[in-house]
This record gives sequence, structure tokens and C-alpha cells, in this order.
Amino acid sequence: MNRIDNLFKSFKKDKKTAFIPFISIGDPDIKMSFEIVKALINNGADIIELGFPFSDPMADGKVIQRSYQRALKNHVSMRDAFDFIKKIRKVSDIPVIFFTYYNPVFFYGASRFAKDAQNTGIDGILTVDLPPEESDELKEFTDREGIDQIFLLAPTSDAGRIKHILSYAKGFVYYVSVTGVTGARSVLPRQLQEKVKEIKKIKDIPVGIGFGISSNKQAKEISAYADAVIIGSKIIQFIENNLNDKNKILKDIAEFSSDIKSSLL
Amino acid sequence: MGLPDKKGHYGIYGGRYVSETLMPAIFELEEFYKKIKHDKGFKDEFYGYLRSYAGRPTPLYYASRLSAQYNAEIYLKREDLNHTGAHKINNTIGQALLAVKMGKKRVIAETGAGQHGVATATVCALFNLECEIFMGSKDIERQKQNVFRMELLGAKVTPVESGSATLKDAMNEALRDWITNVATTYYMIGTVAGPHPYPEIVRDFQSVIGKEVLKQVDKQPDILIACIGGGSNAIGLFYPFLKYKDVKMYGIEAGGFGIETGKHAASISGGKPGVLHGNKTYLLQDEDGRIKEAHSIAAGLDYPGVGPEHSYFADDKRIIYDNVTDFEAVSAFLMLCKLEGIIPALESAHAIAYLNKIKGGIKGKMVIINLSGRGDKDMHIISDYLMSKKV
Repeated sequence: MNRIDNLFKSFKKDKKTAFIPFISIGDPDIKMSFEIVKALINNGADIIELGFPFSDPMADGKVIQRSYQRALKNHVSMRDAFDFIKKIRKVSDIPVIFFTYYNPVFFYGASRFAKDAQNTGIDGILTVDLPPEESDELKEFTDREGIDQIFLLAPTSDAGRIKHILSYAKGFVYYVSVTGVTGARSVLPRQLQEKVKEIKKIKDIPVGIGFGISSNKQAKEISAYADAVIIGSKIIQFIENNLNDKNKILKDIAEFSSDIKSSLL
Repeated sequence: MGLPDKKGHYGIYGGRYVSETLMPAIFELEEFYKKIKHDKGFKDEFYGYLRSYAGRPTPLYYASRLSAQYNAEIYLKREDLNHTGAHKINNTIGQALLAVKMGKKRVIAETGAGQHGVATATVCALFNLECEIFMGSKDIERQKQNVFRMELLGAKVTPVESGSATLKDAMNEALRDWITNVATTYYMIGTVAGPHPYPEIVRDFQSVIGKEVLKQVDKQPDILIACIGGGSNAIGLFYPFLKYKDVKMYGIEAGGFGIETGKHAASISGGKPGVLHGNKTYLLQDEDGRIKEAHSIAAGLDYPGVGPEHSYFADDKRIIYDNVTDFEAVSAFLMLCKLEGIIPALESAHAIAYLNKIKGGIKGKMVIINLSGRGDKDMHIISDYLMSKKV
């Protein structure tokens, strides 16, 4: 049982929904992104999802693309990312999910990555371009280290596909709410609740919903049936809108975060 | 040849590394292609368009003055004589037929220099498909004429500003569009790369090149040479010859300013295995696994990756991969203009340049070079290069 499982277990008992904010490591700079993580933890984040900046983020919308580009200017290496998470571990026991495209992990070496990630205190890894069909080359090592490989389900996944993916899923499953890339949307699809029911019928696993969520109203609605709400682009917008005012970034993110947290059922 | 395997792997390369939203679309394409690829009606239709629309078969031309210069028997496979000026049309006709038969109404594609974009826009006009081409804003600046050609053909050309604003970023943007519009849209990849089944599909359509050569020669050639960006013209020539073990094959990457300078597009000679754009293959990348910008004077080779089947044959050593520099390619370009009255694409000039570099020489050998495209598109690049340097 790792930190992710423990959290969802206790939330299930208390009928609570988890808030999972996403930011990129190193945006706008390493020091500041650490302050942002602290602000999120102090204002309601239940799990932290950290993006490892990549040069070619095919599945991401403009906001996260720009976030990665800002972070890449700070030359965030894998070692820097691990140091960053070690620093979090000194102040908090919050579950940490490492979000990345697969190439940096492959290049670092899957075995070495899993070992170092475990030592660092990473609880789950989400490699967005590593579907179950290709995931064995990493699974062997993440399993060994007790790290959850988090998988995505999409609106395009049919029942057979959902079943297939769920047979791999650990920790929780990440349901992508829209057919598209990451980024805030004002309107979310209606059939989300049915999808969650469909998933739960196949496997009793926590379901987090992400992609497109931007307001406390949406978050509240989703929390009625999902186990976690994942928000990225909307939070990163507070960074890019206030690049010259670090205090405002922290203040806006703290306010938004506690606002979301208090709206969750 | 049993490649790729059932999961789309070429040894350790290839595969399907895409986000979940696209997986069903990739399976759909794979299933559809599996059913149709041996269908006689489909094949007849494909070869029919290649003949009546693209102008195939292309000649295998005996280059007598070039042969005299090298004291060898050198032939050029004239892919430059295809409609739209390069081998790209072989693939886009095939994929457009797939799109139509799958009931897709909209086609998207990435393009670097614009050759694949033009070939895509062309077949979209032919088959009445809505067409959107993603092109890096830097490439749009460098290749204005091709942008205009695509627009004349009815395509929408969308500039891509992200990242390095070149081909790899155009491919990222095309993938993002596909993720968003996957139900209605067919993604027409221009080379033997991307997630399975694309490398296989593009190889099969381009193999018409090598199949024709097999019919056009009266003896077994000693050497085949082709340039490699993603590698579709090379695999198209090589694939039908793989079973002839005595035929040596050379895939020539773009050495740019030289491998040692770090400014090149030679993924095999100067890169390492990695995962990008849906497949595992040799890539140009930095010490943290991020993708580096490629450089080549030939825009069509200016990509930091290569098709996964080439990565497999590079490790396997069945095909020899090497590179020539911008300078060597331009010298070969000028030589072919003067000796044979043929203006080659700068991409194809890389293959010609390798005549000077084959180990053991080519004296008395029969050599076939894939002249993958014509050089009209490169006039301004050549003229700028000649003004700035003395070749």
C-alpha cells in the first residue's frame, strides 16, 4: 500500500473527493515552483502531480506547452526533478505523481528511473505516450519499486478498451474528460457521470477526472461522482499571467486552490 | 520478411507510443489496412492512379556521363518525374484511398519543406477531401512557394509557432489536431515513421519504387543508394531488394555542417534510440532525453528522427547508414546539373554525393541511385548558398 492507495482508501471511507493540482517542475523557475507546490499543499491539494518539462508535448494544449518552454529555459534535468521532489518530502508526506512523456524516462533508463523515483518518494508515474501495449518495458521496474503506473482512459475508449486498460491500472485511473489536448474549457461533456459508472462496474478503482476543468462549479459537479479532480492548465495560467509578480502568483494559486478544495464534496 | 511483428515492432524499434485518445484510431486504421492491403480491387485502383495520375512507372535512367566519370554503371531511378516532383505522391495516393474508403472527410498532414504538404493537398483535391496542413512558421518563411501551391490546391496551411517552429513541431501540432478531431479526421503521415501501422503502410505504398526497378534491370545491381530523412524513398527502393543478399544498400543521412559540429540531421550516425511521435527509433536528443533541433540544407531531411525500420536495419547492419555534409550535397547537386542535365532535389543530392565515399570505390559496379525528387523547389536555397560560399 503506497501513499496513493492509502489516501483513496481513507477518502472513500469519508466519502471525500481528492484535489490533484498539476504544475511543471521549473516553471517559472525551480525555486518558485517549489513555493507554488507549498502553496498548493497548504491550501487543499491532496495529491500533487508534477510535470517533467519536455521539448515535444504532443498531448498538451498551449498553456502547458508554454509552461514547459519556460521551464526548459531553466535546464531542469531528471536529477533536478528528483532533488525537487526530495525537497517536498522534507516538508510533506503528500502523494506525488510524476507526469512525463516517455522519452526522458527511456533515455534515463527505465530500471534506473524506477529505482531513483522510489528513493525520491514518487508514488505514481503517468507516462502520457506509453499505452498499456508498450508499458511492459517500464512496468517490470515500477512494480519492483512499488510505484503505481497511472493510465489514461479517453472518451474514445470503448468498453473493451476500458476493460483492457483497467487490467493494468494501479492507484487510480485518469479519465480524460474531453477528446482533445489539455487545457481549460468552459463546458465539459455531459456523459462523464455515466462513464465513471461504466468504469466502476468493471473495476473497483478510484477514478480521477482531468483535462478541461477550470472552475469550482465544474469541480463540485464532478466531485459528486468522481474520486479525484485534476486541474493543470487553469493553475498554470496564474503563473503566466503574473510572471513579474511572484507574490501574486502565490496568492492567486492559494486562493484558487482553497476555493476548489472547499467546493469538493 | 516478417517485419513488423504483430504489435508493430521492428526488433526493439517502432511500436505505438501515443496518448490513449488516439489508440482506437490507430487500431481502426490497422484493422482496415490489414483487410484491404491484399484486396485486388484496392491494388488495381492504387496502381491505376499511380499510372494515370502520378505518371508511373518512372524511368530507370542510365546516366552515361556520370558513369564515365566514376568508371561505373550508374542508373538513376527518376522519382523526380512523378506528378508533384517527388516520390511523396506514391504514399499520398495510397493513403487518400484509405481515407476515402474509411469514410473520413477531412485529412491533416505535417510538412517540412512542403513536398509532402503539396502531395497531400494534391490528392485531397483529387478525392474531394478537406485538407489542413501544419507547417512550422520558420519553414513557411523558407518555402513560400510551396505554401502558395498548397493554397492553390485548396488546402488550409496552418503555421506552427511552438518549439522550434519546424517539421517536428508541425508533427506535434498535427497529432494535437488528430487527438481533438479523431472521429472525422484522417492523419496522413508523410514518411515511414509515426505509430504503427504508419511505417508499414507508407513502406508498402513506396515499395512500388523498388518493385519497378526489379522489373527494369536485366541483372542484379551491386549497390543501391538513397537519402534518408524519415526514410520513405529509401525503404521504397530497398525493401523489394532485401532478399537479394549480395545487393549492398546505403542510406545517406544529412550530415549538415558535419556530425562533429552537432548541427546535422543524421539521427542514426549522430543520435541515440528514443521515443518520439509514436515510435521508438534513433533520435537527436540531449542528455535529458529532450529532442534537439536538426539541421540540413535539404529541408526534407531536416528532422531529428528516422523511420523505425531503418533503426532496425542499422543495428542489424543489413543496410549501411552514413552521411554527407551540406557542402558535399551541394557539390553533387552541381555535378548532376552539368553532367546529366538533371536538377535534383537537395535531398536526393545527398545520395549522389555518396558515390565519392563508398568504401572500396564503385569502379565497374552497377549502382542505382534513387533520385527521389527534383530541385525546382531549391533554387533560392542553392543560390543563397553559392553566394555565401564558394563550391
